[in-house]
Amino acid sequence: MYCKKECIAMLLAGGQGSRLYELTQQTAKPAVSFGGKYRIIDFPLSNCINSGIDTVGVLTQYQPLALNEYIGNGAPWDLDRTRGGLSVLPPYQGSKGSDWYKGTANAIYQNIQFIRKYDPDYVLILSGDHIYRMDYAAMLAAHKANKAVCTVATIEVPMEEASRFGICNTNPDGRIYEFEEKPKKPKNNQASMGIYIFNTQTLIQYLTDDENTPGSSNDFGKNIIPNLLNNKERLFAFTFSGYWKDVGTISSLWEANMDLIGERPLLDLSKTDFKIFSRNEARPPQFIGQSATVQNSMISEGCVINGCVRNSILSGGVVIEEGAVVENSVIMDDVTVHAGATVFYSIVDSDSEICDGAVVGDRQGDKDHIRVIAKGTVIAAEEKGDRT
Amino acid sequence: MSTAGIIFSNLNEDNFSSLTEDRTVAAIPFGCRYRLIDFALSNMVNSNITNISVIANSKYRSLVEHLGAGKDWDMARRSGGIKFISPYFFAHSSEYYSHRLEALRSMTSYIRQMKEDTLVLSDCDIICNIDLNAVISMHHANGADLTMVTTPCKPDFSSKVSQMMVKTNGDGKVQRIARSRTFMQSNQELFINIFVFRTAFLAQLLDEAIAYNFQSLTNDLIMRSPESQNFYTYCYTGYVAPVSDFQDYYRASMELLSNENARMQLFGKRDRPLFTKVHNSPPTLYREGASVSGSMIADGCVIEGTVENSILFRGVRVGRGSVVRNSVLFGGCYVGNNSLVNCVVADKQVLISDNCQLSGHNTLPFYIEKNVKV
Repeated sequence: MYCKKECIAMLLAGGQGSRLYELTQQTAKPAVSFGGKYRIIDFPLSNCINSGIDTVGVLTQYQPLALNEYIGNGAPWDLDRTRGGLSVLPPYQGSKGSDWYKGTANAIYQNIQFIRKYDPDYVLILSGDHIYRMDYAAMLAAHKANKAVCTVATIEVPMEEASRFGICNTNPDGRIYEFEEKPKKPKNNQASMGIYIFNTQTLIQYLTDDENTPGSSNDFGKNIIPNLLNNKERLFAFTFSGYWKDVGTISSLWEANMDLIGERPLLDLSKTDFKIFSRNEARPPQFIGQSATVQNSMISEGCVINGCVRNSILSGGVVIEEGAVVENSVIMDDVTVHAGATVFYSIVDSDSEICDGAVVGDRQGDKDHIRVIAKGTVIAAEEKGDRT
Repeated sequence: MSTAGIIFSNLNEDNFSSLTEDRTVAAIPFGCRYRLIDFALSNMVNSNITNISVIANSKYRSLVEHLGAGKDWDMARRSGGIKFISPYFFAHSSEYYSHRLEALRSMTSYIRQMKEDTLVLSDCDIICNIDLNAVISMHHANGADLTMVTTPCKPDFSSKVSQMMVKTNGDGKVQRIARSRTFMQSNQELFINIFVFRTAFLAQLLDEAIAYNFQSLTNDLIMRSPESQNFYTYCYTGYVAPVSDFQDYYRASMELLSNENARMQLFGKRDRPLFTKVHNSPPTLYREGASVSGSMIADGCVIEGTVENSILFRGVRVGRGSVVRNSVLFGGCYVGNNSLVNCVVADKQVLISDNCQLSGHNTLPFYIEKNVKV
């Protein structure tokens, strides 16, 4: 049945996130926990629904079990629709052979049929790697106003970090004349956020051309965007100002969690007009016992706190026994920290257990020295934190 | 064999003065993030009862909003699921019903036709987390027409809500049912307002009620010579809390904090989770200077002050230097800076300004109505 949508989103969620080490051993990066009750993918999905985009293809590849289970039919984000809604798009076997997704552009190329089904005027390309709240509708409006064929969302990054990003050099009207992927000497600090809006026809044309180019790495940043510029297409930058964080490394993931707390939290999730939705488990309310101390921390449903928690983010169902101390740490679902155990500067993945007397992490730690405890680990009494 | 459920959402609401001003008994908020109906509903859902009718007669806006299509209870189903029965259903009744029987009478044809051979009827004002499958199995094993769920008699159990004492012959067969507690001395159990009926038997009772124009299911039909009927009790020994008036409400709330067994039995059963409407609030933020102890707290709160022995619902804010003690603050309440709130039950969206001192007494908690500014 014909089902026309003005704009659909394609969410690249197949990345391994190898720099998150143990945290992505069994889980795709977009399904990694964040901020107590969220997963990274909650942010782009919630942004979509809050921006009026109700059709989202989620492209999965690496370790999709936890991710698929989490996104399900999209109901938590109101994306379980009769017309449109959320579709999971794994690599598939076709009549002319099959292939894994070779790069970001190839992943979209392999799903051109999905795009065509909705006959959209515009396609929004997203990744599942970032924590941010963004109204894509504003970006689409700018795209239309500029009569662009492609709009790249950009954000100002500190100049000294600019060489880690794809940098957009623009005219005063926002038109991009040059795109440099990780330049040694960046000319400015307008970094691409990896978020693109394309006119559908242009996208399909360039994806097809790229597919037929031998040796291409089939990547948006490396191939598609430069090809558009070579052909003098109308590319515009859309400057986003607001919180945006790549959580691709242990230290940045820890840092982004810490941005939720502090005297003035950089990221405030309490706004009710732009909620971040997530899959909720039926957990009881949190209980803070008589002997508990909880300061500068964020605590989720189902936690039972009788010990001391400072400067930390606790996911659902975490138990902190009396006499246990947790500081400057991120504790994921259903972790138990027994009496007499201490946890400093750590990320403890779900279902782990820290036994009485164990010391995890270093009290003098910092963001570059975060102890990571893999899912389901039992840290015995005398074990010390030494791995970072 | 299969079972359907009926939940009465309005019964006994006159016992509450204020909490039911604008809502049904079923929709009274309880335990940080729940409403009373969540207990009755979750009991059914966790016992694989997937055809549930919720009967309401008035003030049901908040209840309808809470239930929605039933998705949060996994009850948004093609067949069965949650059916909301509003008073418009009762075509031949000119007034809102006030008794179970009136409500059921209008459902007679539905009950006669239903394919489920067993029917569970539950009120909302006595809360527990009970495995109804165990009750239903016993009901079938006894070949009973009616099984009444009871709890061993406790002297402090509120008399308002459970007016029925049941005396059995020791193996669960009902001997006598009485309204007064002094009437019977030994072997007595308190009825906790959950009936398990053989559907055909209930339909038969309803026919009789229509024929003789009876007014009450319990008084006119169940209490008459129960010893000659095929009635049994199922005595539930787990935690049961009556929430039948404001005093009860406050007592049950405070018991959640003081009684770990109560918390574990109501909320902590891993295979019997308590379901409720999902609000997507962020986790609760405890700021520097927060001091919280002995309290149960929902998501979405921001706490900068002191909270002791209290229950905070979703999105409550407690400002710097303020102390909240022995209190229950409903969703969206706001306590400014340097205020004291003691033994208060504040309904939704109450705003308590800076430097206020509000105190009830633990025997007489102070209730603040919805949306009031102090």
